[in-house]
Amino acid sequence: MDKENEFEKRVSRRRFFNITGWTGLCAFLGSSGVAGARFFYPKILYEPASTFNAGRPEEYTAPAGNERVVVDERWKKNQRVWMVRNREGIYAVVAVCTHLGCTPNWFPTEVRFKCPCHGSNFNPEGEVIAGPAPEPLFRARIELAPDGSMIVTTGLLGIRRANLQTQKKTLGVFWTEEEKEVIWKPPYFLQLKA
Amino acid sequence: MSTNLNNNNEVSFVPPFLKKIFEYIKSTPVWKSIFRVGYPDTMPKRMAVMRSSFYMHIFPTKVGMHGMKIKYGWCMGGITFFLFLLLTITGILLMFYYVPEEHRAYNDMKDLRYVVPFGMILRNMHRWAAHGMVFTVILHMIRVFYTGSYKPPRQFNWTVGVLLLLLTLLLSFTGYLLPWDQLGFWAVTVGTNMASATPLLGYEGPFSKYLGIQIDNDIRFALIGGTRIGPNALIRAYVWHCVGLPLIATALMIFHFWRIRKDGFSGPM
Ligand code: HEM
Ligand code: FES
Repeated sequence: MDKENEFEKRVSRRRFFNITGWTGLCAFLGSSGVAGARFFYPKILYEPASTFNAGRPEEYTAPAGNERVVVDERWKKNQRVWMVRNREGIYAVVAVCTHLGCTPNWFPTEVRFKCPCHGSNFNPEGEVIAGPAPEPLFRARIELAPDGSMIVTTGLLGIRRANLQTQKKTLGVFWTEEEKEVIWKPPYFLQLKA
Repeated sequence: MSTNLNNNNEVSFVPPFLKKIFEYIKSTPVWKSIFRVGYPDTMPKRMAVMRSSFYMHIFPTKVGMHGMKIKYGWCMGGITFFLFLLLTITGILLMFYYVPEEHRAYNDMKDLRYVVPFGMILRNMHRWAAHGMVFTVILHMIRVFYTGSYKPPRQFNWTVGVLLLLLTLLLSFTGYLLPWDQLGFWAVTVGTNMASATPLLGYEGPFSKYLGIQIDNDIRFALIGGTRIGPNALIRAYVWHCVGLPLIATALMIFHFWRIRKDGFSGPM
């Protein structure tokens, strides 16, 4: 009897219902909020495949005379990639400006890529030579298929980003020494016999 | 002489049978439920009219002369609200023709322009009113600032106003993508890439790598429903633009106006 009264004093019926009621409401609203937020993150995407077959290396013209590179634009529209042939081989530059994601254009006479959105300029190696872009243009991965054609991967796993790997403080506008070690070797560069 | 004298000994030219009809109409429940307080010839009756009408009750029962004066502010808040109504009406009409689908969106805009009857003026009204609303809402804010109307007791309405400004800008931004043209496409590419630089929540933002934020689980991903601007981004922009944001804006405007009524006007608009 006494014990019950004591309990009643400490936690009155009103207080009990107050606490459970508010707890229940908060749990409901909280979980609805989390569920609502989760809803906006799709589990499946129907985006274009991030790999494509770019054909055989011989299909791309090599630089002649005093040309530094030949930038091939045949995949730009559908895959957002330039296949760039230099004297030693071939590499794939992702045609997404590292500033805010527009598609730069290639100007052969000026030997540079220029972005129409805020004027970033890149040299054929992808390094920033003007404008707000904080890092060089990304490189896509190139692998050789058994039949000798090039499989280019532009998705998350295939892209070489400048500052992701080397946790440096200053943003590299030019490739750093460590990055140069990586980008001029497979899978980011395909050596070809001259 | 066929004039007849009424109770007040005034001459009335209304024939008695018409008068009977009027009297009958005035005695019906329908009439009485619309005109509850009778002819508002006294101050208490005038105030009762305002208080008892659903449409009038957002106005104060009494407005000071200074509150009715339109000065250099040109009632910019009112113009903003007018533009919002215009946008709602023209927007609903546009929805009858426009389909937010990758292959149709741009062509539907072209159709609105060249083949839909009055489509060109409809679309232009919507577009110009949208630009106008951004402009007037900023002017309204400037007016409120210069007249010091953000000071207590109106500080809370200023806060609501900031949210309304944000919503106006978001409506403008989401609407900009819908034509699916080069302008909108790249503007939204750039804009949502900025979102990816959000601290903690964006995959390129500071500190986010400690939370394991990637391109496919950051805030930009939730905004555009993918890793790049595509069909998902279009439908998301569309639903936010046509349903989500207008509903939130409407709720906040109701609140904004109710607050104005409670606090009273600070001075000439
Ligand atoms: C969707 C946007 C908005 C609409 C439709 C709107 C509408 C209105 C209207 C009709 C008034 C009556 C006075 C007038 O017309 O000048 C008003 C007053 C006011 N608004 Fe807004 N407004 C909006 C956004 C804002 C913004 C962005 C702010 C500031 C951050 C703001 C702060 C205020 C304040 C403090 C008042 C009271 C001013 C006074 O009593 O003199 N509103 N608003
Ligand atoms: S997006 Fe290329 S310069 Fe800004």
